Amino acid sequence: MTAASTAGAKRVPTYCYQCVAGPDLFTVRVQDGVALAVDPDFCASAIHPGAGRICVKAYGLIQKTYNPHRILTPMKRTNPRKGRDQDPGFVPISWDEAFDIIAEKLNAIRAAGLLDDSGYPKVAASFGGGGTPQFYMGTFPAFLAAWGPIDMGFGSGQGVKCYHSEHLYGELWHRAFTVSPDTPSCRYVISLGSNTDASGGVAGVKRHADARARGLRRVQIEPHLSVTGACSAEWVPIRPKTDAAFLYALIHVLLHEQPRTRLDLAFLAERTASPYLVGAHGYYLRDPATRKPLIWDRQRNSAVSYDASGAAPALEGRFSAAAVEIGPDGERLAEGELVGETGFAKLVAHVAPYTPEWAATVCDVPAATIRRIANEFLAQASIGETVEIDGQTLPFRPVAITLGKTVNNGWGGYECCWARTVAVALVGALEVPGGTLGTTVRLNRPMSDRIGSVKPGGDGFMDYPFNPTDPAHWSPRPNIRNAYRTLVPIAANGPWSQALGPTHLAWMFLDGTPDGLPKVTFPELWFLYRTNPAISFWDTAALVDKMARFPFVVAFAYTHDESNHMADILLPECTDLEGLQLIRIGGTKYVEQFWEQEGFALRQPAVEPRGTARDFTDIATELARRTGLIEGYNAAINRGAAGVPLKTERYDFSLAPTIPHRRDEIWDAVCRAASAEVTEGAATDGLDWYKTHGFRTRPFPHSDWYLYPALERHGLRFELPYQERLYRIGQELGRRLHERGMTWWDNQLSEYQALPAWKNFPALWEKAVVQMGSKPEDFPFWLVTARSMQYAWGGNVGIQLIHEVAANIAGHGGVIINAGVAARLDIADGDLVEIRTPRRSTRGRAVLRQGIRPDTLLMIGQFDHWATPFARDLDVPSMNALVPLSLDLTDATGSGADLVRVGLKRLSGPS
Amino acid sequence: MTRWVMVVDLDRCVGCQTCTAACKQANATPPDVQWRRVLDMETGAYPDVRRTFVPVGCMHCDDPPCMSVCPSTATRKRADGIVTIDYDLCIGCGYCIVACPYQARYRTDRANFAYGGSNPNEAEAKCFDERRLGVATKCTFCVDRIDAGIEQGLTPGVDPEATPACVNSCIAGALHFGDIERAESKVSVLLAKNHHCRMHEELGTGPRIYYLQD
Repeated sequence: MTAASTAGAKRVPTYCYQCVAGPDLFTVRVQDGVALAVDPDFCASAIHPGAGRICVKAYGLIQKTYNPHRILTPMKRTNPRKGRDQDPGFVPISWDEAFDIIAEKLNAIRAAGLLDDSGYPKVAASFGGGGTPQFYMGTFPAFLAAWGPIDMGFGSGQGVKCYHSEHLYGELWHRAFTVSPDTPSCRYVISLGSNTDASGGVAGVKRHADARARGLRRVQIEPHLSVTGACSAEWVPIRPKTDAAFLYALIHVLLHEQPRTRLDLAFLAERTASPYLVGAHGYYLRDPATRKPLIWDRQRNSAVSYDASGAAPALEGRFSAAAVEIGPDGERLAEGELVGETGFAKLVAHVAPYTPEWAATVCDVPAATIRRIANEFLAQASIGETVEIDGQTLPFRPVAITLGKTVNNGWGGYECCWARTVAVALVGALEVPGGTLGTTVRLNRPMSDRIGSVKPGGDGFMDYPFNPTDPAHWSPRPNIRNAYRTLVPIAANGPWSQALGPTHLAWMFLDGTPDGLPKVTFPELWFLYRTNPAISFWDTAALVDKMARFPFVVAFAYTHDESNHMADILLPECTDLEGLQLIRIGGTKYVEQFWEQEGFALRQPAVEPRGTARDFTDIATELARRTGLIEGYNAAINRGAAGVPLKTERYDFSLAPTIPHRRDEIWDAVCRAASAEVTEGAATDGLDWYKTHGFRTRPFPHSDWYLYPALERHGLRFELPYQERLYRIGQELGRRLHERGMTWWDNQLSEYQALPAWKNFPALWEKAVVQMGSKPEDFPFWLVTARSMQYAWGGNVGIQLIHEVAANIAGHGGVIINAGVAARLDIADGDLVEIRTPRRSTRGRAVLRQGIRPDTLLMIGQFDHWATPFARDLDVPSMNALVPLSLDLTDATGSGADLVRVGLKRLSGPS
Repeated sequence: MTRWVMVVDLDRCVGCQTCTAACKQANATPPDVQWRRVLDMETGAYPDVRRTFVPVGCMHCDDPPCMSVCPSTATRKRADGIVTIDYDLCIGCGYCIVACPYQARYRTDRANFAYGGSNPNEAEAKCFDERRLGVATKCTFCVDRIDAGIEQGLTPGVDPEATPACVNSCIAGALHFGDIERAESKVSVLLAKNHHCRMHEELGTGPRIYYLQD
């Protein structure tokens, strides 16, 4: 889009990144300084995978700008008592006073030391999920970098209510922070609860609609008929939390009911660890001299290192070889002539019991259906086909398996992610055209280059930045309160790791730190931005109680809400149509954002800020100035904290280090650096150019959607199916914890299995009912949730337009109940019902539907607001009020699931 | 002869309501007035259930029941098939609202805005059209855009500036607009190649929204 104006009217190009499925580009129609409308940016249709369109959320931005409930001046709390029942007594103050108060706190903290007696940062910060707040917070990351240690591990849902197992194990196995089908060419998708048509954003919706028109068959397996189920070829209602059993049976069919020759044997032999020999103790047999894992070479009829040239690896069998078996902490478990079995053979034996008939009893899905879907999956895999992309001939395997939230987090998440990845590897459909792909990386580096993050590690696999578990380097003293580095090796230790650790533990441990960890403390100052944990986390009543005890809270506030109700200072920042920031676009990003371009896009003020709202960059600069950090702040920006390094060998637009710079000066330098990067130095256009043109891109190779070529180039293998490394890490972690007397993480340690077995996952939630002193039969329903495209991530629950249009989608106004069950319970559509656990209860209007299992209830989205203007009058229930924060329901990655057993009863008739 | 029609591909629609929101914005309709909306429909009984999203609005019928009951001749039909309402003639009797089998018409008697009833925000104040109070309103196929676009030599259904806002906004590519009398138009091609139906066809109204469904 090129900005244009005529007689008081103009169109302003900008971007929307309200959800992780962005960014999308659009224009704002402005008349006489008033934003009137948003429109697709059809100038971007050639480069944007969503054809330059924006989803429903962006249409709420006009109301968001002019919402009369906005906070338009800094405010301070006058009531020292905090709590849901306390009026904060917010009164307007000047920016100067607000900065004085905050700087005084920060400077006092700095003078006394940045860490408290427990070693935790005294300053904490929580941002909304998926990293989307970063696309609105200007240079605030530079301030955080200049400050030093900050605890960003108090979750508001991110980290543990997300696609958590997929994030972590996905990055380990195929650099897949999130996983997507190669939708434009995929032919068959098995979707276990992946609600793509609600959560995949504009790109996801368009790509799948195009694919359906082309003939893609998607089988949607989930307890309720979601938006995505509605748009699928088939809906298979499955009992909640039994998805792993379905996938195990699918693998059983592939391995026990079909000839081996129908699998992609070449892929398994050359690109996976299937041929690696596993010894009696469960670890790889290794060459005694080089310690490299051994395979059996059918050519030489002997064991050779996995990387021996010209080897013809045996996929199955038991073989004897001179070897050493190395266990945890480098222990030699065996040495000499040892017998080993291939990882593939162990997999075959492992899944033998998991027949479709067995799975049918677990999943409540007919065995014939499971078998049919498995065989359709195999038939569609097109093993042997190839396709040419960017001059490279690549395997073409057009099948994918995707997993939704609650399927891939909490207990069972590891098993589902493992089984999904193994299943697609068996047919060679991992990271090849048509198949199952990762999208982006957040734990591996560099984050902006997924393909570049492929680096050789040990044993022929990609390197992975596990937190250490060896005696010399494992630490019982966490750097932040959620203890991710101590408890979750696979969470790594990068910028995103704090938020991808067990973020609910930070909350839980405030009222009782388990043995062995330093006492978990309240941070002395907590920044909040684009997040509302009092609504978006579990057990919201308990969370509010804890938040009320945070001593000093600074909230960047759009309107009053349930979390900033506990704040001491409210700061109004420029919102979406008022602020300015340049971001990277293109390449491959979350969910379904696969571009054939990459570059930068500008968010710019379409209208003047309302009230005294300030641009986030100016706020960050002033905080840096008042805390004496301006030099470190500028240095962070120069290093790239605003998205682009300002100085490289090719160019130098760096800011003078010792003086504060105004917003446009900073972003002009960033824009110039971005122009130079995109054009390889040919252009150095600054802010004015981007204000006019909106975005600048260059081609991104289609072949970089796929990891397979990079693995081939490096001679690497996918670390599948056998999980020797995870098994070892689990053993070592257990030793370290037990050496310190820490046994409260033992359940989680049981997840570290080289070949994960099915466990009765649903029973864990039934057991939780018993532990609360109640009988499971009194809580006979599963309560689940589903993504609302209209609301998710947008922070837009107070926007009337969004509420009005979302009401057209069933369930937004209450709790969805199977109509047959409701009839038996004498519940009519619109009746007020109570949904309860042994500890909590909520109420809402019954929404009767056929598309839900009789044993399942559904509450869409996250509501139950009591402070947010407009939203507090909606009277819509949320499952978050009912789900307990529970260590028992926390898996080894530190995540839980949006799932709880509930009872149901009618309270009264329609209102 | 031009005949504007809308074609909805039900296999593509995901019920996201982006078109609903875009319509509300483009036409500045007050709260709870939705000239375009998407129904969320279920058929069958558990577990054999289908869920379908169906965009609806004024069907711009060949023989519009709303027009025949209109006592003031405010509702008319243009040569290109677009059913219009002349707000200066409409007396707000509501007969047309009752007569429309598609529940596509609305009447708002008092100014009503997103927040605070009669208090518009800056954007609403600029877009408010007092002539719409106390009269029947409905989808116009964004007739102003069509007419202005044609004047500029643009093609409705092809050029965004001349195309209804809902069609422009559709992220699934489910909505199409064009001249059914032109064989090469996108809508004609879609209708020629796909099975299609119209809503309440048995009533003989000749609705001009066609639904494609596999």
